[in-house]
This record gives sequence, structure tokens and C-alpha cells, in this order.
Amino acid sequence: MINEEKVILMTRMAAFEEHEGRKYMKIVNYFRADYIALQVLKAIFCATISFALIFALYIFYDIEMFMQDIYKMDMISFAKTILMYYGITVIVYGGISYVICAYKYSKARKSLRAYYQNLKKLNSMYEEN
Amino acid sequence: MTELLELREKIKLVYAKNEAIILPVVKFLLAFVTLLVINSELGYMSKINNIALVLIVALACSFLPMFFIILFAAAFTMLHMYAMSLEVALFGAVVYMLMFLLFFRFSSKDSIVVILVPLLYACKIPYVVPIAVGLLGTPASAVTVGCGVVVYYLLAAVTSNATTVNAMNDGDAMAKLRLIVDAVLGNKEMLVVVAAFVITVIVVYLIRRMSIDYSWTIAMVSGAILNLAILLVGDLIYDIKISVIGAILGSILALGIAKVIEFFRFCVDHSRTEKVQFEDDEYYYYVKAVPKITVSASTKTVKRINTPRRPAQRYDVGTGRRSVTISRQDEEDEDYEELL
Repeated sequence: MINEEKVILMTRMAAFEEHEGRKYMKIVNYFRADYIALQVLKAIFCATISFALIFALYIFYDIEMFMQDIYKMDMISFAKTILMYYGITVIVYGGISYVICAYKYSKARKSLRAYYQNLKKLNSMYEEN
Repeated sequence: MTELLELREKIKLVYAKNEAIILPVVKFLLAFVTLLVINSELGYMSKINNIALVLIVALACSFLPMFFIILFAAAFTMLHMYAMSLEVALFGAVVYMLMFLLFFRFSSKDSIVVILVPLLYACKIPYVVPIAVGLLGTPASAVTVGCGVVVYYLLAAVTSNATTVNAMNDGDAMAKLRLIVDAVLGNKEMLVVVAAFVITVIVVYLIRRMSIDYSWTIAMVSGAILNLAILLVGDLIYDIKISVIGAILGSILALGIAKVIEFFRFCVDHSRTEKVQFEDDEYYYYVKAVPKITVSASTKTVKRINTPRRPAQRYDVGTGRRSVTISRQDEEDEDYEELL
């Protein structure tokens, strides 16, 4: 005999697993610090590439002037300025990523907690039988 | 009004039951229209300016995730830019790369807005975007709207400078790059529109979330006024050529569309037909759960109930009477909400 209440619970859980559940489980497989660290590292990598792209565009925009001035300019102060901008970009973008990932992780854990509670409920239903 | 509500419920039911068909069709149409607009506006590469190719790509998009529409649209625009000039394509590639690397990593869900902005610009109704996104999305969607505006102005700069770029010699590579960079980054109108749209999305979202009566209507009206005000102030400061009458009419039209969106906001509703499979020790289960849709009389909000056998809260359209809801049903609903 099919227990309808059980089927309803299982259907809802299966639907959750199929949509958000899969995504959330991937996140919660990590420890919080590990997940956030990995995401922030990815963010720093992306910020570095983006900065390199913008810098390349900046150089190519006025390459003739740049090549003329290259022997006259103080390369160390130029490099310092570029590094400062790079640092600001990475820190700001890394910080934003940190906040977003921390929020995502807590959301995932909260919703999986509800899912595990339902699992327990289902387990107790089986034990009753 | 009751007839409209009835119609809405019918449409919702049809949508809930046939979501598996409707969604691919919507994706196909969106991809098809997007690529057609790109080809007609840019159209520099004759090889991809081909209806058969557009149809094939749109068909592929219908069963691929939504993000692929953006990828294909980006690829098409890049190819057209490449056919025009390598330097222009390089600049386009840098802009797209920045968007993919920095922004779409976080908001892949609503990244389709980046296509809708240029598309609605082509339909002359761009002002509906910030209001609709504020109503349906999150503050993070503001970034996507900003990206969409940048994409539109990038493509507009490419088309408006096409003759100048084509007239230049191949040796003027740097001049071509400078021309297109100046046309995009020096465009004050773009900056004003980005600022107006981003602020509008956030303000509409904040007002919509307030626990006040008519928060949706207040949000859309104040959003439209704010958007208009920022555009006009920007127009005064930077002396850009925003058509005031066009902006006012566009905002009024945007309000009308936002009102329709409010009425049919089931697209963001999570009710959907679920087809799931699982098993236990005794059976294999192949379950299709179709959401039940009923309207409560007082609030006119939609109640989604996935349990087919339990009594649910109903609104009798003819008499305006509500039937009793069994408390156990509420418990079930809470569980479901929690689960989601």
C-alpha cells in the first residue's frame, strides 16, 4: 500500500534536490572558510585578468606617446602607481566577493538544514512502518 | 475585474501545466528576435547574416540554458565587429570579457537582462527595464542592467562610427581603436543612463519590499519619476540630447507595462510542474506534481499547493466567498515554504 504522505514528502524533497538542492549541496560540501577562500581566490584571479585587459587597452590607446615617453618617465613611480591601482581593484573586488559568498553559504546551509529535517521526518515514517 | 482574475488563473494553469513546452518556445523566440535584431542593426559579416543560421542557433538555444543566448548574441556581435575592423572587435572583446569575468559570475540567473536592455532599446521602450527589474529582481540585478546599457551604447557606437572606421586605412589601427574607445567611454549619455537605471532598480526594489499597502504601485511610480528626474538632471549637467517628451512618454508606457507585469507576476513565482523520480524499498515512483492555483479573496495573492488530495483555500469568483482552510494544510504549506 502506498503511503501518500510519504510520497508527497519525497516528491517535494526530490523537486528541491533537482533545483536548488544540487547547487546548495555543492556549496555546503566545503567548510565555510574553504568555500569562501576558494571563491575569493577565483575573484582575485578574475580581477587580475580584468586589470591586465584594462591596462593593455590603456597602453594601446596611446601607444605612440607611450613609446616616446618611455625613456623619459620615472618607471619606478609608474610601476608603483599601477601596482597601487591593481591592489585597490583586487581588494575591492575580493571584498565584494567575500560578502556575496558568505551570504550564499549561509543561505545554502539554512535551506539544506530544512531539507535534512525533512529527511529525518521521512526516516521516522519508515521506522513507524 | 473578476473576469481578468479568472483569465489570469487560467493562463497560470496553462503555464504551470505546459511549462516544459512554453519555456523552450520563449527561449527560441528570444534568441531568434535577438539574433535578427543584431543582424539587421550590425550585419557587417554576410556569412552570419543568414536566416537559416539564425534559425539553427535559435533552435539550439531553445534547449540550452538561458546563458547560451547571451553567449551566442555576444559571439554574433563580435563577428560583425570583426568583419568591420579587428580593432573594434578587440575593444568589444575586452568589454565582454570584463562583464563575464567580473559581473556574470555572481548573477547568472538574471543575466538575460543584458540582452533585454538593447532589445527594448531597439523597440524604443528602454525605460521599462529598470522598473521591471526592480520589481522582479534583486538589487544585484542593477549591475546586470548597467551592463546591458553599456552593451547597447557599445553597439550604437559601432554602428554610428562604421562609415568613419571603414574609410580609414589598414595602417590606422590605433586611430580606429581610439575612435571607438572615445565613442564609448566618452559618451556622457551612457553614464547618465547607467546611473539613472541602476539607482532606479535599487529604489524600486527597496520600496517594493516595504510592508506598506500598494507598495508595488508606489515603487513603480516613484521609480519612473526618479528615473526621469535623473535623466533630466543629467541632460542639464552634461548637455546630452535626451528627448524629454520621449522620456516622459516612455516612462508612462513603462508604468503601463509594469502594471501588467504586476498582474501576471507568476513568472517569478516558484510554482511549476515537477516531474521527479525516486524509489524506496518497495516501489519506483514516477511523480508528476502539478501546482494547484487558487486566489484568496482578501489579498488576491496566489496560494500554491502541491498536495492534490487535501482541501485548499478557494476563492469562489461568483460569490466572492472563501472556503475554510484546514489547519493541517497550512502546516504543509509552511513546510513547503521552508523547504524552498
